[in-house]
Amino acid sequence: MNRADRRWLVIAPLLLALGGVVLLLLPLRLFGGVVPTPIIPLAVIFFWSVYEPDLMPYPLVFLVGIFQDFMMGSIVGVWASIYLLSQWLVLQQRQYFLGRDQHVVWLGFAIIVFIASLVLWLERSLLNGTLLPYTVSIGQWLVTIAVYPALSIAFSFVHERTILET
Amino acid sequence: MEILGQHRREGLGRRENRRYGLFFLMALSFSMVLFSLFGARASVFEKARETLLDAANPVLSVLNAPIRWVDRRFGDISDYFNVMQQNQQLREENAELRGWMHEAISLQRQVNYFEGVLGVSMPEPADYVDASVIGEVNGPFQRAMILNAGTQQGVEPGFAVVEGEGLVGHVITSGKKTSRILLLSDPASRTPVLVEGAEQEAILAGQSRGQPALSFFAERQPEGLEVGQRVVTSGAGGILPRGIPVGEVAQIRGGNVRIKLYANYAGTDFVRIVKYHNQPDLSADSDDGADADGSDNE
Repeated sequence: MNRADRRWLVIAPLLLALGGVVLLLLPLRLFGGVVPTPIIPLAVIFFWSVYEPDLMPYPLVFLVGIFQDFMMGSIVGVWASIYLLSQWLVLQQRQYFLGRDQHVVWLGFAIIVFIASLVLWLERSLLNGTLLPYTVSIGQWLVTIAVYPALSIAFSFVHERTILET
Repeated sequence: MEILGQHRREGLGRRENRRYGLFFLMALSFSMVLFSLFGARASVFEKARETLLDAANPVLSVLNAPIRWVDRRFGDISDYFNVMQQNQQLREENAELRGWMHEAISLQRQVNYFEGVLGVSMPEPADYVDASVIGEVNGPFQRAMILNAGTQQGVEPGFAVVEGEGLVGHVITSGKKTSRILLLSDPASRTPVLVEGAEQEAILAGQSRGQPALSFFAERQPEGLEVGQRVVTSGAGGILPRGIPVGEVAQIRGGNVRIKLYANYAGTDFVRIVKYHNQPDLSADSDDGADADGSDNE
């Protein structure tokens, strides 16, 4: 493998996270718009924070969050703070996640997603000046949790190649 | 599934603690939130949004092509099974619309006659810019669309956006070739409306995934409201033109009035942007006390 290919593998998490942001912007309207688009950047940040945090440093997470804020038109800093907080939580529990069965990791991801959803709800409620209904966000978070096993399989291929080739 | 990371558990204690970096970036994020809140709309962030939107335009347009293709194929299959029913429905609608067309022509003649008699000068009809939807924000607390028309086509923040059935939202960010619109269902959206029949002005407030709610200026809920009454833009504040169909009253429960929007967001691929500049308000009965639709995502 040449140097250029290795570089691609190293920046794969960044590209995947940014791709996840672009996916959030596409009018996919899954099943007639009933199923919301999963928040893939959160899955990317979680996976790499557990298995290869060196490739997902805080500034990069901040960058992904800011990019999402700008692209979605939300208040700048909202998604950045949520992603940073999520990563910090993951890194605190990283020792527990490493080497565990994927079902356990999946459960851990679900807990992180739940906390992230609460923080987003609180931030948006504060910024709107009114208590927004939390229930409207449940669908998107559930879809994000549901797709994580499939995403983690795909991410693990990239991750293993990164370990082997770099 | 293979257990990932098993061989790496031992080396964790040696990892450098980067807590200070995290605290710095968290503080930076919250500072940016505060700056966005208290900064003017024409802030550096707004310029960055416009630039990024324009940069994303070609990417979103290219990625939209396969989505549209798949969507059309599913639409074709669905149409095949419903073709008889749709045909019947279209015939009925056509007959009904012909009746309305003759009535409209007749009314237009009357209006022209009275305009001539009274010497009234009506405002110029608004221009439209056609645009296609290349992006969508369908987040939990955010509802927006990205269109492939911007300042080069004369699109400016504040312009109303309509589709075949009714009002979709209004432009909040306008890049050179791309713009973002805030949908009526966004929790930050506030649109001055008029309930026809009851002749009551109100503010339509977005509720994310639920039906938008009406809030009235009077303390008591006005009388005369009925399910099925048409809701149109009131034009209060002079930002949006008056009379654009918005929806109809769907539910009245206590002081809670919900509106079923005419716009179907799940099927909106093409829209029209109404190039409307604040003209002299011709409606003397318009309540100027109402805020204009100046809500945004900020």
